[in-house]
Amino acid sequence: MRISYKWLQNYIELNASPEDLSFKLTSLGLEVEAIEVIGKELDGFFVAEVLDVQLHPNADRLKVCKVAVSSSEQPLQIVCGAPNVAAGQKVIVGLAGAKVPHNQHDPEGKPFVLANATIRGIESHGMICSAKELGIGDDASGIVVLDKKARIGTPITEHLGVNDIAFEIGITPNRPDCLSHIGIARDLAAAYGKKLILPTLKVKENKKSSIKKLTNVRIENSTDCPRYTARIIQNVAVKQSPEWLQQYLTAAGLRPINNVVDVTNFVMLEFGQPLHAFDYHNLAKHEIVVKSAVRGERFVTLDGKSHTLTGDELMICDGEKSVAIGGVMGGMNSEISNTTNTVLLEAAYFSPTSVRKTAKRLGISTDASYRFERGIDPNVTLQASDRAASLIAELSGGEVLGGIIDVYPKKIVGKKISLRVERVNKILGTAISLSTIAKFLVSIGITVTVAKDKKSLLCLVPTFRPDIELEIDLIEEVGRLYGYDNIINKTSSEVMFSKPDATEARISEIRNWLESNGLNEIMTNSLIDTSSAQLFSPNIVTVKNPLSQELEVLRPSLASTMLQSIGYNYNHGAERLHFYEIGSTFSTEQISGKQIHVAGYTESRILGICLSGFAGDISWYQKLRKVDIFDLKGLVLSLLKGIGLDNSNLIYYNAPSSLTEMTVGIEINGTYVGFIGRIKSEILKNYKIDQEVLYAELDVDSIVAIHSVKKYREFSRFPTVVRDVAFIVRKEISVGDIEKEIRSFGGSSISSVKIFDVFEGKVLGEGKKSVAFSLSLNSFEKTLTDGEIDSVMNRVIGSVTKKFEATLRSL
Amino acid sequence: MLDQTIKEIRSEIDALLPTITTNDQLEQFRITYLSRSGRIASLYESLKSVPKEQKPQFGQLINAIKQETESRFESVKTTLQSSTTRQASDVDLTLPGRMLPKGTRHPITRTMEEMKNIFVSMGFGIVYGPEIEDEYHNFEALNFAKNHPARDMQDTFFVKEDVVLRTHTTPVQIRVMKNRPLPLRVIMPGRVYRNEAVSARSNYFFHQVDGLYVDTNVSFADLKGTLVTFAKNFYGNDIKYRFRPSYFPFTEPSLEMDITCFLCKGKGCRICKHTGWLEVLGAGMVHPNVLRNCGHDPEKYSGYAFGMGVDRISLLRYGIDDIRIFFENDVRFLNQF
Repeated sequence: MRISYKWLQNYIELNASPEDLSFKLTSLGLEVEAIEVIGKELDGFFVAEVLDVQLHPNADRLKVCKVAVSSSEQPLQIVCGAPNVAAGQKVIVGLAGAKVPHNQHDPEGKPFVLANATIRGIESHGMICSAKELGIGDDASGIVVLDKKARIGTPITEHLGVNDIAFEIGITPNRPDCLSHIGIARDLAAAYGKKLILPTLKVKENKKSSIKKLTNVRIENSTDCPRYTARIIQNVAVKQSPEWLQQYLTAAGLRPINNVVDVTNFVMLEFGQPLHAFDYHNLAKHEIVVKSAVRGERFVTLDGKSHTLTGDELMICDGEKSVAIGGVMGGMNSEISNTTNTVLLEAAYFSPTSVRKTAKRLGISTDASYRFERGIDPNVTLQASDRAASLIAELSGGEVLGGIIDVYPKKIVGKKISLRVERVNKILGTAISLSTIAKFLVSIGITVTVAKDKKSLLCLVPTFRPDIELEIDLIEEVGRLYGYDNIINKTSSEVMFSKPDATEARISEIRNWLESNGLNEIMTNSLIDTSSAQLFSPNIVTVKNPLSQELEVLRPSLASTMLQSIGYNYNHGAERLHFYEIGSTFSTEQISGKQIHVAGYTESRILGICLSGFAGDISWYQKLRKVDIFDLKGLVLSLLKGIGLDNSNLIYYNAPSSLTEMTVGIEINGTYVGFIGRIKSEILKNYKIDQEVLYAELDVDSIVAIHSVKKYREFSRFPTVVRDVAFIVRKEISVGDIEKEIRSFGGSSISSVKIFDVFEGKVLGEGKKSVAFSLSLNSFEKTLTDGEIDSVMNRVIGSVTKKFEATLRSL
Repeated sequence: MLDQTIKEIRSEIDALLPTITTNDQLEQFRITYLSRSGRIASLYESLKSVPKEQKPQFGQLINAIKQETESRFESVKTTLQSSTTRQASDVDLTLPGRMLPKGTRHPITRTMEEMKNIFVSMGFGIVYGPEIEDEYHNFEALNFAKNHPARDMQDTFFVKEDVVLRTHTTPVQIRVMKNRPLPLRVIMPGRVYRNEAVSARSNYFFHQVDGLYVDTNVSFADLKGTLVTFAKNFYGNDIKYRFRPSYFPFTEPSLEMDITCFLCKGKGCRICKHTGWLEVLGAGMVHPNVLRNCGHDPEKYSGYAFGMGVDRISLLRYGIDDIRIFFENDVRFLNQF
């Protein structure tokens, strides 16, 4: 909402500077988002007098003028090309440094800055301007000639009266009353303790002819239109509005159109009541019927757009057809034109819900619909109508017919709300007295009666405040007028600690661990395109009204968006990509368990890990190499161990997955928590990635749920003996199986099994490999003797060689 | 013949041992001379072909060279071990150290964690809720009437007619108030969505931290006190702030909190749109209708609620001028944090 500082001063005496006023408005909840000084673009232009005009010696169309820009200084010489320049004229002169808003010689009319110049050998110290150049009119044929009485040296904004300040105020949806200058003035009057000055309303009516003879109003749908009033103004001459009206409207951000339309807009911005003017002679049977649209009906609005109606819209009709969509927009067929002679002026109250539904459905938002859907005052109608009727008559030379038609079957009255003083102070944490509270409420137009017990107030809320419905709303008004800053900050509220959140701590642990091990946390979009999503899952959640096709569905897997980041960096030449992300994934599938369901959708909180490119940075102490699946396997298992989850069990799948190959599932204490693998190349192709990407996915909620405080386990205090042994086996024997065999046959005296060498080579024979193990042996009871160690080793060697047809390789 | 060989070996060893400077050379030495198939072991083999009467004499010689070599080997080994730590003067300390990998935390997570930590220290718990939310929790229960212009404040993505991508983390308030016993003091961080065009200053998803405190005697003064404590912790003790009335359907009275722009210190700049102030959060007293919707008696209980955006604050904190850079995840960006 744009408010003109000058206009506002008609309703309240303001001594405050624009800055103070802005501060006050904001502290009332009417946040000033911007302040615009109007006329600033005309700085440097002044009223001047042309003293003498001579022909330019070197140019046929140019003249050399002597111009007085101040009574004390020497006249200036200015070269001017306008055909109408003449001695004795009062004109508008721009001096060097002034910015001419519109360049007539530039095809786009771009502004330019004036400088002293020599034009065909003659010095020129400024410019005499046309209306078009200054942006104050459309006339470009010659210079502006001002009234003889204009004072030389007066800044032109002051002379034209366009010096104003516009405040751009963010009005919250609960304050429709502040969508008008009077509404804003009312709040300011309350805050400053001043009087609100309302315009005097006296309509000069032609008592001889009554409106009732010329028209008739019928409401068929009084739910959507509780009130409709009409006035008629005859013999109007539609023309340009006077300067003052144009300036007010321009300052408030509206474009002046003609005197009739401008008045309706003026009154809307003054009282907050949208009005509509019909050309009376275009109304069939000269009557108004308010009713619902006919289903399938087509209607062309003022802006030339055609709409097909559903039947739920409230229409203003004449005796035959629809002429306006009630509260939204008028029709082309009854618009005010230059030939309009008689105006039927509508001032009505439409139901907010109905207007909002219609405006939404038709995709139209107008100043009128904006106000109606927020709720205007149903009882300001007559004042607004009177104000507009007399202004139209005054500005157009017309006359107002006697009387007004006011169809208002059921009067809307203000709400009565009881306000307890104790409640006010309890909610606000204050100690405001009953009389102060009453004073605040009265100042914003609420009628207050003190209850018998003197502990509460009976409040009658005016109908211009539809937002005040409950006691709490009155408490807000008291708080607002008392001043939020005057409420003392209380910090003594007892600290009540919630149970410490184990989940949060676990997630922090995971983050810390991953970052300490060189991973960058990333944060990716949750919306992607359908075809990418389908690579990951068939159960995709689609957005009905997406911003674009690229952002149409919710990600089914963290890989689906993490790969975007891998691809982006890969294609920007980054060589070491070690990423993790914790985020939600979405599915239409209902998965039973602890995941969050709303309306049948499953949401999972996932930890995704992506590794790609080099394992480390280039350095003098180690060879650069690419990551492989064992980097990821080691990382994930170390992570689980690092956060205290020792009991992981790996599942080596044979079944193919759509996303990864070399997939290994991970269980902890028998609960499936996720998997690791290498992203398939057909998926990488979609992301334009041409190198291996390893991906792990862990269900965060499952991981953090498995948590217990670690218990101490006794360890052997006797010396540990390390023995190495190497076997030659067939290539396809898995090392994991041999390791398992060693552990089971070694028994409790084997405390660890480490694999320190795996190789294949001609020496070993075709299809063979050598695997070397380093075994640690000890006992909880005693130091093991050589004999005991040999016996364990023999047992192990015996079982491995037998089971895997292995041969022992001497080290 | 044999004594000749022994002499040769001895002189070889004499020549070789002093040149040994590395463990590898030493190991090579051990294998050549001292291992089971080494030169000294082979002397014992040669002993077999020596006439019987000379055996004791040669045996002694061989034993002597063996023992001597072994002890010399051990002493070189000890010397080598003690000098693996190289001479200080030989070390070029300007060579880079063996660096540990450095990971980073996303700046939005950083901001969010800082917020969380402050509230946790003030006694707030942490609760999460779903991003796909039904209209009841996202709007209705929060006192957004159907067909009320307040719904225009939040452009909404729909998944179904009555299922949305949550437009704020506030619906989690309804979930906790319905499911947990009072009193309640929690914050609710998470990702939210708005159907708005993407630009340098706004994105279609962002992150919020909502807060809620409901008890028998919570007032607007408590709310202000909590917010000031938070703001001073988070933005610094010397900030200036102001509270101004505002409107949210789910709180009444409602406020917005501004702090002096920390870029221009209140003078007015591009970031604060020349107002000198930055809006940092919205808050208010929980609307009685909301308490009632959750089954609580507003006469008995009162509460406050607040909410703040994480992304925009992160922009300002880290001096970033385009919000989209947060989600590009360029390593050159990530590695700065």
